[in-house]
Amino acid sequence: MDIVLTINGRPHHLSVEPRVVLLDALRDRIGLTGTKKGCDQGQCGACTVLIDGQRVLSCFVLAATVTGEITTIEGLAPEGGPLHPMQQAFIEQDALQCGYCTPGQILSAIACVHEGHAGSAEEVREYMSGNLCRCAAYPNIVQAVLQAAPQMDATAGPTSAETV
Amino acid sequence: MTIQGPIRPQPFSRIGKPTPRIDGAAKVTGRALYPSDESVPHAAHAFLVTSPIARGRVAGFDLGDARAVPGFLDFLCHENVGGQAKPPKQMAGGETTTTMESDRIWHDGQIIGVVLADSFEAAREAAFKVRIQTEAEPPSATFGSAGTTEEQREDEQKEDFAVGDAEMALAAAPVMLDAWYETPTQHHNAIELFTTTCAWNGRQLTIWEPSQFVYGLRGNVAQQLGIEPADIRVVSKFVGGAFGSKGGATARTAWIAIAARRLGRPVKLVATRDQGFTIATYRAETRHHLRLGANGEGRLTAVSHEGWEVTSRPSFYNVSGTETTARMYAAPNILTRVAVVHADRNTPGFMRAPPEQPYMFPLECAMDELAARLGIDPIELRRRNEPARDPVTGLAFSGRHLMTCFDRGAAEFGWNRRNAQPASMRDGDWLVGLGCAASTYTANIAASTARVTLRPDGQAQVRLAGHDIGTGAYTVVAITAADRLGLPVGQVTVEMGDTEYPPAALAAGSSHTASITHAVVRACDALLAQIATAATASNAGAFAGREPATLSLRDGHLVAPDDSSESLADAVGRISAGAVEAYAENVPDGMPADAIGKLYQGQLPILRGQKRVDMTAYSFGAQFVEVRIHARTREIRVPRMLGAFSAGTILNPTTARSQLMGGMIWGLGSALLEKTEIDQRAARYTNDNIAEYHIAVNADVRRVDVMMLPEPDGAVNPLGIKGIGELGIVGVNAAVANAVFHATGQRVRRLPIRIEDLL
Ligand code: FES
Ligand code: FES
Repeated sequence: MDIVLTINGRPHHLSVEPRVVLLDALRDRIGLTGTKKGCDQGQCGACTVLIDGQRVLSCFVLAATVTGEITTIEGLAPEGGPLHPMQQAFIEQDALQCGYCTPGQILSAIACVHEGHAGSAEEVREYMSGNLCRCAAYPNIVQAVLQAAPQMDATAGPTSAETV
Repeated sequence: MTIQGPIRPQPFSRIGKPTPRIDGAAKVTGRALYPSDESVPHAAHAFLVTSPIARGRVAGFDLGDARAVPGFLDFLCHENVGGQAKPPKQMAGGETTTTMESDRIWHDGQIIGVVLADSFEAAREAAFKVRIQTEAEPPSATFGSAGTTEEQREDEQKEDFAVGDAEMALAAAPVMLDAWYETPTQHHNAIELFTTTCAWNGRQLTIWEPSQFVYGLRGNVAQQLGIEPADIRVVSKFVGGAFGSKGGATARTAWIAIAARRLGRPVKLVATRDQGFTIATYRAETRHHLRLGANGEGRLTAVSHEGWEVTSRPSFYNVSGTETTARMYAAPNILTRVAVVHADRNTPGFMRAPPEQPYMFPLECAMDELAARLGIDPIELRRRNEPARDPVTGLAFSGRHLMTCFDRGAAEFGWNRRNAQPASMRDGDWLVGLGCAASTYTANIAASTARVTLRPDGQAQVRLAGHDIGTGAYTVVAITAADRLGLPVGQVTVEMGDTEYPPAALAAGSSHTASITHAVVRACDALLAQIATAATASNAGAFAGREPATLSLRDGHLVAPDDSSESLADAVGRISAGAVEAYAENVPDGMPADAIGKLYQGQLPILRGQKRVDMTAYSFGAQFVEVRIHARTREIRVPRMLGAFSAGTILNPTTARSQLMGGMIWGLGSALLEKTEIDQRAARYTNDNIAEYHIAVNADVRRVDVMMLPEPDGAVNPLGIKGIGELGIVGVNAAVANAVFHATGQRVRRLPIRIEDLL
């Protein structure tokens, strides 16, 4: 079936079978491979994207059902431009090792802040527990979220995608 | 040429200074390309068909429904391609199970077929529609199952020790501790799946696959397919976690290469999470019989450690951590023995601290038990048994600061607030326990090579087929080259993970930083020699007629000891307007001269710290853990962990801290969460997904403190580098068990420790 996905502010026209999940549509059809496949069954969080600012497991969503604005890791900062405060914080806090869970962690973290769940380390740990990190960068991830949270303008919406 | 070490810090030098990862920006923006991210046009998709039984043979396939799936292209199995590939060679343990070479089924989840289709969805559907006929035999699952066979491990790669007469000393010991311990099956479960993409261009095969050893994978696939290594390129720029699972070649790669050759188009495989439990390796379950004899003051008179490890039917893979436990404490009588138990399982393999993680658990628990028995503080007990030399070989240690780690760690952790009496500390409804244990890991180094170029504008490039599996290898290479070339780190680019570059060793065994940075230093020094020779040979310039060996690169200049200097534009430009290039090889002292030749062939020439003839080389650490156990529900929480480590030169404290911290959290998961459950009758893993195989999540982890103690160890290798990748995990399981005992008075000798163990 023919669908249109709005990803990082741009429409993408594609023809997919109804069974194709958003994750595979992004990676295999559109070439946005920043979104990662870690389990394909909703367990790891590596495939997290934002849809209308809400964090969603893209391996668990049929591409054809998505009508909202999709933000992927590629849409957080313009090429060559400044990084999103959460991306910057992940680098500064060394909140990653292999980096495979990182796109999902960052999108989840941005949503976590906008949900109002980044008030304390305790809260961040709890609300970031859907994103597994086998390298176990967890303490640094918590620090990164706490660092970025006050820098993110709560009124500017979930991401800076609209500036891309 | 000898390496002048230790590295002398220069004005720009970031050696030992916290430096952000140079690949951080690529990773936080999604630009880092992991092998399955590479865009390979027109690729067909593969989906594996795996065995539903653990022992027997494939009797046939009914492909009617599979072929009817729109987009279906091909089905590979032993019948049509079985003769086209040999099994991959194992890095240890001899033979391994086969896959599609024949109809034989060695274990549940074995690859028995590959479906190819135009899309991932069609391949998956067709794979589920393949009907498999098998002839099943009753399988043996693990220890205690009928039909397993046990054999004493041969002294090939690993050694057993018999120092003095341990049996007699144990019989005569005033105090004896005699206990059995168990560790479970565990799987790496890196978040990145096992992926392989293959494309042929005439005779040339390109493989995109996450790997800890691209030359090793290349050499292996070449021997499997009977083609020249030079005709294969392996690309693995970023690896989404490995922990040992991507070190050796697995069977899948050759089959995907064959699939691509048959189809005449590239083929991409992304194996599923559950398939990852059976198409690669795992940490085998172990059992241990540990006996300690001691006198009344707690001085050990004998240590006896016997281990049993599960492996597959044809393999004798074993980790034999007794090679380390025999060296931990000063005992005049030492006995070690390891046996393997063959079952109908896939072949196990390296997983983070392969020998030490399972074998230090019984030893470090037993030391705690002995301390409690004798009424001696566990740290004091270890002090009384600190060996002056390697108790097995009599060699000196290259640097052994175990007690410094304990003392500094204890002070920071607040060990003196611990009431020695078990079950004596309480905070409201929570029983509080403090435990400690030693960590150690062999200091290993392998032969490696590197190529460095420097341009007149001061931009340098380092290329080597090394691997950054999350360790920060890209960054330490840049730091090392920048230091040696007198440049800011930002002027050094690093390219790795590709057999187009000169070979680097396997990224495993905590050896990679030591292995690759020595090669980088040599290449930088060779480059300096070219520049200095040209400068001194020239009739013009500040250095005409001087001795080239006195010159160095510093602060973006070529400089002499009297501080006369020349810009890189002049010094490099004298040789080339393009770039000066140097290639170098490093064969660590004590290794055979043919090491580099072997490396090019994809073999691994490595010098292990416990096998050296000049010294025994280990890094050390002390692990401290606070547990809280709910008095009524027995819920177990770990609010605080602290590790104090002594591991030689730390090139980058930022990434080193992360790696040690990650190791400690692995230890926590290993102590309390991780276990692959096995259905005894079917010999099948039952929790083969990461919702039911529990790894630590963010909420499981509270405060984790990492102390890196300065340790200049000039003896171990010229740069004084030991390893840190595994040091963080070792001993945490025992520290947790010891803390649980301290909190409750209950001694649990089987991992993981769960609520039901404390009811
Ligand atoms: S890939 Fe979607 S949750 Fe793991
Ligand atoms: S950084 Fe490797 S899984 Fe999180």
